[in-house]
Amino acid sequence: MAVQQGVVIGKTNVGKTLFTINFASYCGVQEMHISFREPDGRRSSRVLQREDAAAELAGPEPHKTRRLQSISLELPVGKGTRHLELVDTSGLTDYVHRDVEVRRAIAQSLAMIRDAALILHMVDAALVGESGPVAGLGEVDYQVAQFAQMRRGYAILANKMDLPAAARGLELVRSEFAGHVILPVSALHWLGFREVKQFVAHAL
Amino acid sequence: MSNTRPSAPAGPGDFPAWQRIMADVAEGRINPSEAVRRLVLVRGGGARSAMPTTPPEGYFGPRPALSAVPAAEAADAAELRRRHLEEARRELATMPGLRSVKETVEELLAWVQVQRWRMRENLSSEPPVLHMVFRGNPGTGKTTVARLIGRMLRDMGVLSKGHLVEVERADLVGEYIGHTAQKTREQIKQALGGILFVDEAYSLARGGERDFGKEAIDVLVRAMENHRDNLAVIFAGYPAEMDRFLRANPGLVSRLPIQIDFPDYATDELLQIADLMCQQRQYRLTEEGRARLREFLETERRAVNFGNARTVRNILEAAIRQQALRLVGRNLPVDRDRLMQIEAQDVSAAVKRLFGEGKAPAAGRESEAGESPAAAGRDAAMQRLAQALGLLAGPWTGENAI
Ligand SMILES: Nc1nc2c(ncn2[C@@H]2O[C@H](COP(=O)(O)OP(=O)(O)O)[C@@H](O)[C@H]2O)c(=O)[nH]1
Ligand SMILES: Nc1ncnc2c1ncn2[C@@H]1O[C@H](COP(=O)(O)OP(=O)(O)O)[C@@H](O)[C@H]1O
Ligand SMILES: [Mg+2]
Ligand SMILES: [Mg+2]
Repeated sequence: MAVQQGVVIGKTNVGKTLFTINFASYCGVQEMHISFREPDGRRSSRVLQREDAAAELAGPEPHKTRRLQSISLELPVGKGTRHLELVDTSGLTDYVHRDVEVRRAIAQSLAMIRDAALILHMVDAALVGESGPVAGLGEVDYQVAQFAQMRRGYAILANKMDLPAAARGLELVRSEFAGHVILPVSALHWLGFREVKQFVAHAL
Repeated sequence: MSNTRPSAPAGPGDFPAWQRIMADVAEGRINPSEAVRRLVLVRGGGARSAMPTTPPEGYFGPRPALSAVPAAEAADAAELRRRHLEEARRELATMPGLRSVKETVEELLAWVQVQRWRMRENLSSEPPVLHMVFRGNPGTGKTTVARLIGRMLRDMGVLSKGHLVEVERADLVGEYIGHTAQKTREQIKQALGGILFVDEAYSLARGGERDFGKEAIDVLVRAMENHRDNLAVIFAGYPAEMDRFLRANPGLVSRLPIQIDFPDYATDELLQIADLMCQQRQYRLTEEGRARLREFLETERRAVNFGNARTVRNILEAAIRQQALRLVGRNLPVDRDRLMQIEAQDVSAAVKRLFGEGKAPAAGRESEAGESPAAAGRDAAMQRLAQALGLLAGPWTGENAI
């Protein structure tokens, strides 16, 4: 059976890359065989230790992730296991980015959500808690939620739950996206990963 | 109507539209959020293709193998949307009166749907510009219909949220230079993805050239351009004032392709509205009660500033309180029927309270006690009692309150 794809999508800096790497570790991946897909279509791959992967690929500068990077995971499903290619994407913006490379990476991310079996839509709950839904969420978040509504494999991950403002943020996210599956997580501290794993296994 | 047709199963046929959207993103013509919105339109919802399609060349590299996707899931999403849309349309259809309004709304929905189908077929399509003018007296259903339109456009995938932000001059116009732009922009931001409903829009133009209202209009016009794909601005108010306002702001008119007129309700329509409102709240007007209401409305509807359906609502609201007083005060045995019935005396007492002695229909004058100076205090006490008994809980509070 073909490998199913899951895509982690969301605004810039919400923690998509860190989540992808740490969640892969949580699922038992030690060495990250990370394959990159450049916006121009070329593929390359590298093997990184978890720590190196986090340091190299995630970070506070927006748009550090300019190309799709994916990690293969084995997940227990029923009696057997399922193969999942978890794809980390470039951050979505509400505006037209000046840099063509970033724009291409974004187009590439959007293309993923069309066919992925699993869409993990990440928002920064701490930011929402601090600055409210209008500033903390983007128009693009609402659009993605609408696009994916009713898909079995769609969940909103409210990230950075380790930060104090996130509790309030989670409440706001719940009310803004009522009716969707919302899973609180901390990509940094591996919180809520069990629930995500259950959800993923169920969705596949 | 044709737009209830479930969206066609997506196949390779929708590929060019998809490809074009991605190219638009990469080349900087549209922002990502607009791109996702278009994906919704093209796909008719969160539907996933059951057939593998080829990704646009150049951006993504070799296409990964994809398993076929259960079609049921895709159908679910489209079905849910369709049901929501149907619900909203039914709600509009069951509102008494508003014939021409309903026609215009159906036209609008049909047009939006056809633009979407055209986009899917890669035919030239106009992005829907959804700014509107609502002309009508108070209580003719402008706000109510605007809310419904918001829901419909959301369910059609045009607006991402479909909510309504209702503003008036004070919400937009500030006190010093720069303040207005800031306030107006804040409201626009809140309304993105939905409808910005500007009530009594002409009050923005009342102060002449140096008034900050003009600044608010300028900011609105810019937002109407910049966010035309995901924001509908509705300017609403009295017909004559709206006409004058629009004549004085030609730049605005050209951006308002949709105009909907809300005529005053006929007496019969007002009574149907009364029946509907009662029914929704599990009350019932007795025949005499209905006659009493008709009598009052027939004269009152000729008054300037008559509040149409809002007046009806206010009367019923008051009549329900009067009924409660009557039932509690008279120590009569209460059964289900009594609890539901609004009688002529309740209507008369309600009218008297709302509009004063002179307005109450003659037959109503003898109905209730309570002309003593202590009456007001007693009323308040009774109201509290009724509230405590749960008689006033329900749909009369909250959103429905004016
Ligand atoms: N406190 C906290 N910080 C996080 C968490 N997840 C991500 N971050 C930080 O947020 C920033 C952006 O993370 P990154 O994964 O690059 O975000 P991306 O742009 O969505 O891929 C980095 O500085 C991360 O360390 C979290 O759960 N808690
Ligand atoms: N045709 C109708 N059927 C039922 N209720 C109506 C109708 N038109 C208006 N109403 C009710 O009358 C009240 C006032 O309507 P609203 O939409 O606020 O009027 P406007 O915005 O034109 O002043 C609301 O409670 C609304 O629900
Ligand atoms: Mg990243
Ligand atoms: Mg109104």
